[in-house]
Amino acid sequence: MTMLLRILLAVSMACGVLVPSGGAVAKPLNIVFVNPGKTGEVYWDMVALTMQAAGRKLDAHVEVLTSERNYRTMQELGLGVVARPDKPDFLILSNEESAAVPILEAAEAAGIKTLLLSNTLIGEDAVRLGPPRQKLKTWLGDITTDLETAGARMADALISAARAEKWQSPDGKIHILGIGGDEITPASIARNAGLKLAADSAPDVVVDRMLFANWTQSEAEQVTANYLSWATRKGIRPAGIWAGNDPMALGAIKAISTAGLVPGEDIQVVGLNWSEDALRAIRAGRLLLTDGGHFLLGGWSIVLLRDYADGCDFATNSSHVEVKTSAISRANLGSVGDLIKDRAFDRIDFARFRAKPGRCGQYDFSIDALVSSLAPPEGTAD
Amino acid sequence: MRNADDMTDPKRSAPATSSRSVIRAMIWATVPVLLVVQLLASAGVELASFWSQIRQLDARIARVAESRGELIAEPLWKMRYDRVTSVLNEIMHDETISAAAVYDDTGVAIARVVARPSDQSVSEVSRPITYINDNIAVQAGRIVIAYSYATVYADTGSRLLLLLVVGLLATFATLIAMRISANIFIGKPLAAIMSAIQRSKQDGRAYPAEIKSLNEFGQLARAFNAMQHTTSGALDRLGHMAAHDPLTGLPNRRSLSEQLVTLSHHAGSPDSLIAFCFIDLDDFKGINDTFGHDAGDKFLVHISERLRHAIEPQDWVARLGGDEFVVIRPEVSNAATAQAFAHQLLDAISKPVRLHDKQVVPRASIGLAVRRAGDPELSHLPALADIALYHAKSKAPGTVAVLDEALQHDYRRRRDLELAIPTGFSEGQFEVWYQSQVDIESQAVVGLEALIRWRHPEHGIIGPGEFLPLIERSGNNAQLTRYVLTDACRALKHLVAAGRPQIRIAINLPPSELADHSLAAELRATCLRFGVAASSLELEITEGSLINNIASASETLHRLRRLGATIALDDFGTGYSSLAHLRRFPLDKVKIDKAFISEIPDSAEDKAIVGVIASLAGTLGLTLVAEGIERAEQAQAMREMGVTLGQGYLYHRPQPLEAVRQWLEGQPGSRVLAESPSIAPEFAA
Repeated sequence: MTMLLRILLAVSMACGVLVPSGGAVAKPLNIVFVNPGKTGEVYWDMVALTMQAAGRKLDAHVEVLTSERNYRTMQELGLGVVARPDKPDFLILSNEESAAVPILEAAEAAGIKTLLLSNTLIGEDAVRLGPPRQKLKTWLGDITTDLETAGARMADALISAARAEKWQSPDGKIHILGIGGDEITPASIARNAGLKLAADSAPDVVVDRMLFANWTQSEAEQVTANYLSWATRKGIRPAGIWAGNDPMALGAIKAISTAGLVPGEDIQVVGLNWSEDALRAIRAGRLLLTDGGHFLLGGWSIVLLRDYADGCDFATNSSHVEVKTSAISRANLGSVGDLIKDRAFDRIDFARFRAKPGRCGQYDFSIDALVSSLAPPEGTAD
Repeated sequence: MRNADDMTDPKRSAPATSSRSVIRAMIWATVPVLLVVQLLASAGVELASFWSQIRQLDARIARVAESRGELIAEPLWKMRYDRVTSVLNEIMHDETISAAAVYDDTGVAIARVVARPSDQSVSEVSRPITYINDNIAVQAGRIVIAYSYATVYADTGSRLLLLLVVGLLATFATLIAMRISANIFIGKPLAAIMSAIQRSKQDGRAYPAEIKSLNEFGQLARAFNAMQHTTSGALDRLGHMAAHDPLTGLPNRRSLSEQLVTLSHHAGSPDSLIAFCFIDLDDFKGINDTFGHDAGDKFLVHISERLRHAIEPQDWVARLGGDEFVVIRPEVSNAATAQAFAHQLLDAISKPVRLHDKQVVPRASIGLAVRRAGDPELSHLPALADIALYHAKSKAPGTVAVLDEALQHDYRRRRDLELAIPTGFSEGQFEVWYQSQVDIESQAVVGLEALIRWRHPEHGIIGPGEFLPLIERSGNNAQLTRYVLTDACRALKHLVAAGRPQIRIAINLPPSELADHSLAAELRATCLRFGVAASSLELEITEGSLINNIASASETLHRLRRLGATIALDDFGTGYSSLAHLRRFPLDKVKIDKAFISEIPDSAEDKAIVGVIASLAGTLGLTLVAEGIERAEQAQAMREMGVTLGQGYLYHRPQPLEAVRQWLEGQPGSRVLAESPSIAPEFAA
């Protein structure tokens, strides 16, 4: 229901925006995005929303197809798009669980240009298919976030907080629990690698376990409860919980409360995604920080494709566009909190982020640039 | 039908039980061993299988624990305890597992599943759970599985039970098979052989064992049948041999008694007469001596052939042994026809036989006895015929003697006397009588001859002629001689006491005594005992006793002579009358037999003979004694011929000693002896 409404809304907004600027720039673009996530899954919802908001700003019609976290459905949707008689200009895919590869190959056959978002080719696929635009001519490239750095930044914040509070266990070490989403997707692997990187470089830190909770809050709550119980038996004082996304961080917080501990006072939790609930938890002091902002990849991908369609190819710099994430803590919560809370992504002036003529492929997608691009919210109460 | 009954009956009785016992013994010897071995073997195999199953179960559960541990490692390490529990739950499908638990590295049970209440024989296996990924390998915890051997025990128990049942069934089947096969292959052949043996035992004939098979029993049966055949032939021959004379092929003595029984049973009527001829060849010994024993056998065969041809089909001929034959005619009309039959046999025998190219005329004596078939003493026929034969042989060889009352009486008297001899000795029924020897010239008594008499309580006084042969036959000669000797010595003592020391007493020595070397010593001892001189004894011997053993007789005579006894040759003239004997032996006297005296003086021949003897004796220095002088003219004739001494009824009849002594007292005294120094010139010296 809501998705349909949103699509209708997006289409109507796009039509409304496109009419005045249609003559000024080149032809309008027809873009299809096969969303691997579930409806209500904050990150992918926000990716789609920013993608559509950017489309409205950059004269591109963005069609979002949701596969509801079912990779078979995702493949069916993708292959269905490829088989359409009226083919789109661009197809945006996310290679979660490496499920986008068949679609990518089918699109190559159909001559549809593709962009991989968030998850690119890995492992054998990367070796077999090589870099973009070589074997697969229509695969233009990918836009990803540097989640490893994000994971490391989250861990560092956790360790600093624990050090400051002197939450060492009897063995003198700071004991941390890691909760990853899964062990397969590059997005998860990168975050987890960041945690490992940070922990390895801190000799006083021990990651007791790297647990996996399928990105979900309830499973994270369960494993956290298990961990806390185990830690008690082991005589360990748990200092922090590193969660691969915000729902899992919130699950961990719930388990901590259930175990009789006070999150933020007895133990710190970090999450990722800039989710609304996370922002609320930060405000309540139960969550140390949430890293992220990578849902803006949706908007940034439209920026790249607009530039590409207008002859300024992002591959001039690199076909692999990597966007840094940023952490929101209590310190900077106010500037982007409303944006996320209201999902008022039309406040972002995406046209400002297009590459300057002669500097194709060079983009500034930083949080500062974002903040400065924001139009004041409608009804600015605060 | 009867044959069929005969076939089955013995099989059912004795042989069946014996063969069954053999089979039973076989079964008892094999089946328990079989059963025990089978049960032990299967139990052993089952036990091995049981241990192997236990080990396999242990290993399987250990593998389960390890594989589950591997599956559980990740969820355990990653604290997905619900998944740990679900993975653990999967193994509970294994019904041997009673419980399982997973412990984490702190030892706390993360998951625990109990399938069923733990019963007996619960074992546990515990395996560490190691979590391994690219970076680490840590012990995440431990899995413990409790499992039960109950299924193995139950399986083993049911299999053991099954094996027991199968073993028992197999044993039972073996038992049945053994019974059947043993009955077929052992019992039946044995029964067949036993049946044949039983039937053979019943009537002595050879019955073959009916076994057709080619196995060992078939061979045994064939060997048995062959042996039966051989044995029955041998038995037939043995039976024939036992009942027949091998030389002539005639029935033998053994057959005779059977034949007599047959006769008494199968006679036409109890009054029919049976003629029994006892035949004895005369002088068969002579034929053997002359022509040799082979010829003797041939002779006997000839005789048997003649007897065979001489008889009718209903008659029966047998050879009892040696030269004795028996011919029985089962039905004769009367005694006369029986006698005619016996004569007919004698005629048949008496035809000449050629032996070594010489004509020999066989002679035989026949004793004939005729009895009624119903006579209860029919079995005595051979003995009765023998009496007649004895008579014929002794009285008229070469004739037929028919058994009559007189012969039977004689026979019975002879037997009575023979049986009474021991009593005669013990009761002193034998008496020594004395008869004087007289100097024919002077009528003086010069000696007495001791003569034995038997005063039998029933038959009265019996002369020696009748009973001496019986005594000799019964082996009592020596006893009688000692008896006479003792009596004579006692008489001599009396004579000396009566003032007649010159009278000698003469004793007759039987031939057997001459061979007895102890006689001289005994004679001397007896003389010493009674205090009489041995020279007062005269010993009378016959020529016959000298001939039989010349060397031994000569030795004994010399010894007796050395003791001083005089020797007289008795009955001279009737036997060999050898002049050489007169010269060779140490003789003092010769007694002329009364046969020569009785016809004197009428017979000129006898007178001539006596005269020659007298002159010969005179030449040889022997004293002559004439026996049997009954008339005075005989004494006169003797005197004329130079015979010095005489003995006979003319002078004195034999009398008991007491009567002789009384008679002597009336006789002239001792001077007579002094007037006749010529009696024994040697002794004077």
